[in-house]
Amino acid sequence: MSEYIVDIEHLVKKFGSLTAVNDISLGIKKGEIFGLLGPNGAGKSTTINMLLGLLKPTSGKVIVDGIDMQKDPAAARNNIGVVTQETVVEPELTAEQNLMVFGRLYHIPESELPKDIEFALQLSDLVPFRHAYAGTFSGGMKRRLETAKSLMHAPQLILLDEPTTGLDIQNRTKIWNLLRDINKKDNITILLTTQYLEEADQLCNRIGIIDHGKLIALGTPSELREKIGMTSVIEIAAEKEDLQKVAAEFEKIGLEPNVLSNKVVAPAGSNATKKIETLLKALSAARIKIHNVSMHEPTIDDVFLKLTGSEVRDATGEFSGRAGAMMRGGR
Amino acid sequence: MSILGDSYTLLLRELLIFKKNLATNIIRSLTFPVIFIILLGSFGSAPKNVPVAVVNYDNGPMALNFINQLQLGNSVSVVSEATQRQAMSLLSSDNVAGVIVIPSGFTQGTANKVYVYLDNSQPQSAAVVSAKVDSVAQQVGVNPVAADPGSVSVVTNYAYGAGSNYLSFVVGGLLVMVASFGAVFTSGFTLLSDRQLGNLKAFLTTPINKFSYLISKIAYGTFQSALSAYIGLFIGLLYGATIAAGVLGFLELLWFILLVGLGFSSLAIALAARSKQLQTYALIAQTLTMPLAFLGGAFVPVTLLPSFLIPITVVNPLTYAVNAVRDIMIKGSLPLATFITTSAILLAFTAIMMGIAFILFKNTSEQI
Repeated sequence: MSEYIVDIEHLVKKFGSLTAVNDISLGIKKGEIFGLLGPNGAGKSTTINMLLGLLKPTSGKVIVDGIDMQKDPAAARNNIGVVTQETVVEPELTAEQNLMVFGRLYHIPESELPKDIEFALQLSDLVPFRHAYAGTFSGGMKRRLETAKSLMHAPQLILLDEPTTGLDIQNRTKIWNLLRDINKKDNITILLTTQYLEEADQLCNRIGIIDHGKLIALGTPSELREKIGMTSVIEIAAEKEDLQKVAAEFEKIGLEPNVLSNKVVAPAGSNATKKIETLLKALSAARIKIHNVSMHEPTIDDVFLKLTGSEVRDATGEFSGRAGAMMRGGR
Repeated sequence: MSILGDSYTLLLRELLIFKKNLATNIIRSLTFPVIFIILLGSFGSAPKNVPVAVVNYDNGPMALNFINQLQLGNSVSVVSEATQRQAMSLLSSDNVAGVIVIPSGFTQGTANKVYVYLDNSQPQSAAVVSAKVDSVAQQVGVNPVAADPGSVSVVTNYAYGAGSNYLSFVVGGLLVMVASFGAVFTSGFTLLSDRQLGNLKAFLTTPINKFSYLISKIAYGTFQSALSAYIGLFIGLLYGATIAAGVLGFLELLWFILLVGLGFSSLAIALAARSKQLQTYALIAQTLTMPLAFLGGAFVPVTLLPSFLIPITVVNPLTYAVNAVRDIMIKGSLPLATFITTSAILLAFTAIMMGIAFILFKNTSEQI
C-alpha cells in the first residue's frame, strides 16, 4: 500500500468545450488533514464529485485506498464518509432515524447499529435531541448531525465539502474540534474544501489551491504564506483613470502592485505603516484623489492575486451562464 | 439481495416520513375521492321526487287512474292544483318542475290527451317528468301534448342509465384515475425533491447500488397510490356504488389498482430520472396522465370517442384497466382470459417503464 489514501492521476473533466478540471494530479497522505481551496467554479466540486464516483472523468483516474473508483465504486465508497455542501438531514425524521437510515445504507450490521447510533449521537452532542425531528434543529445542529452520520461506518477518509460555510463562530469551532478529534484519535484522513483561508490555516496539514481547473499551489499553510511573502496587504482605491499612476507610486517604493477594477493592491512586506505614509504623501503631491486606503491580513483573495494575478472573478466567485451552471454540477 | 436490502432501507425512510405526516396523508387521500364521488356521482344520477303540479279538469276514473300511475315509484311527487293558472304560477316560481293538465272529457274519450308544461331551465328534472308522463300515457293509452313549444326538446337519453349503475361507473373510473395520478405525483415528486435538496447525492455517496433507490421510489409510489385508490373504493362503496362481481370482484379490483399504481410509478420515475425542475416535471406528468385517464375511458366510454383517437386508446394501458374494472363493477363477471391479458398488459407496461427509467438513471450522475 502506498502512503496515499487518495491518489488522483491526471484527472480531466470536460463539459462540452469547457474544461472544468484540467489535468490535476494529487496525492493525499494517510492521516493528514488536507484542504482544497479555490473560489466557486474553480473546479473544486467537480474534482470532489469525480473523487466520489458521482461524475465520470473525461480521462485520468481516482484511486481510494487502493481501489479504482471507476471500477468498483461501491467498495471504494465504503472507505469514504461524505459531508456534502448542502446540509442533508431529513427534516421529517428524528436524529436517531436519520442515523439509522444512513447506518443501514452504509451496511453496518444490524447487531452493531444501535451502538453506532449511540456513538454518533454522542459525537454530535445531540443525545438529548435523539427523538426530536431534524427539521427543528439549528443550522449548526444539522451540520453536526450530518458530520456524525458520515462517520458511522468508520471510514478511512472523510470528505467535507465546505463544512463550515454559513455557520457562526461557535458552531464552526465545534466542527473544527470534532474534525481534529477524529483525525487524532482514529487517524482518519480528512479532505475538506473551503473558501476560507483561515479555516485551512487553522485546520490543515497541507493545502492545495485550485483555479481554472488546475492545481496552482500545494504545500503546508506556512509554505504558502511564504509564497505570498507578506504579513499584510495594502489597498488604495482611486478613480479608474488614476489607477496606473497609483501603481507607479507603489513600484517606486519597491512593492509589486496589482491593478484591479477600482483599486490597487500589493503585499506590504515589512514596515507597512511607513509605506502607506510614503504612498499617501506621493499621491497627494501628484494631486490624485484617493477614495479609500486600507491594510488587512492576507485572505484567500490575496493568495489568488499573488498566484494568478487576477481577481477572484466576480463578487460571488461564480462563472456566469451555462458554463458556470455546469461547473457547479448542473444545479 | 443487497439491492433489495438497500431498497427496503430507502422505502423505510419514506414510510417513516409518511407515518410522521399520517394525518395529512390520510386527509389528502380522502379529499380527492370524496369530492369526486359526490360531485360526479350526484351529477349523473336522475333526480328523485321531482315536484309536478297536476290540474284535473276531468275528475273521472281514468283521470284518477292517470294520477295514481304518476304517483307510483319515486320519480315525481304530485301536487294537486284546482286551476291551470295556479299551477302555472307554481311553475314560474320554480316550486314545481312541470305542470300536467288533464282536460275535461278525458274519461269519456273526447279529449284523449294531457297537456305537459315543462321548465327547461332544469333539464334533468324536466327529463324525469317527461319520461314519467310518457310511460304513464303509454299504459293509459293517451297522447301527451307538449304544450310549451320550446320545451319538447328534452334529453331523455341517458348515457349510462341512472342510479347505482352510474355511480359504479363513476367510481370505477375514479379508482383508475386516483391510482395513476397518485403514482405519478408521489414517486416523481419525491424523487425530484430528493434531487433538489441533495438527498439523492447523499444516498449515492453511500456504497449502495443506485437502482435500489429507483426500486424504493417505485415501491413507495405504488404504496401511496394504491392506498388512495383503496380509500376511494371504500368511500365509493359507502356512497352506494356496488361491485357486481362480489367478493372475488373486490379482490380483483384491489389487484388491478395495485398494477396501475405500479405501472404509473414506473412511468413517473422514467419521467423524473432526468428532470431537474419540479415545475417542468409536473407539467409533463400532467399533460401525459390526464389525457391517458380520459382516453382510457375513465369518464366517457371509449366507444363514444371520435375515431381518430381510437389508436391511442388501443396502446393506452388504462383502457384495459378501466375495462376490467367496469366488467367487475357493472357487468358482474371478468372472464379468466381477460383477467390474464389485462394483468399481462399492465405488467408489461411496468417492465417497459422500469427499463426506460433504469437506462435514463444509469448515467444520471452528470445531473446531480
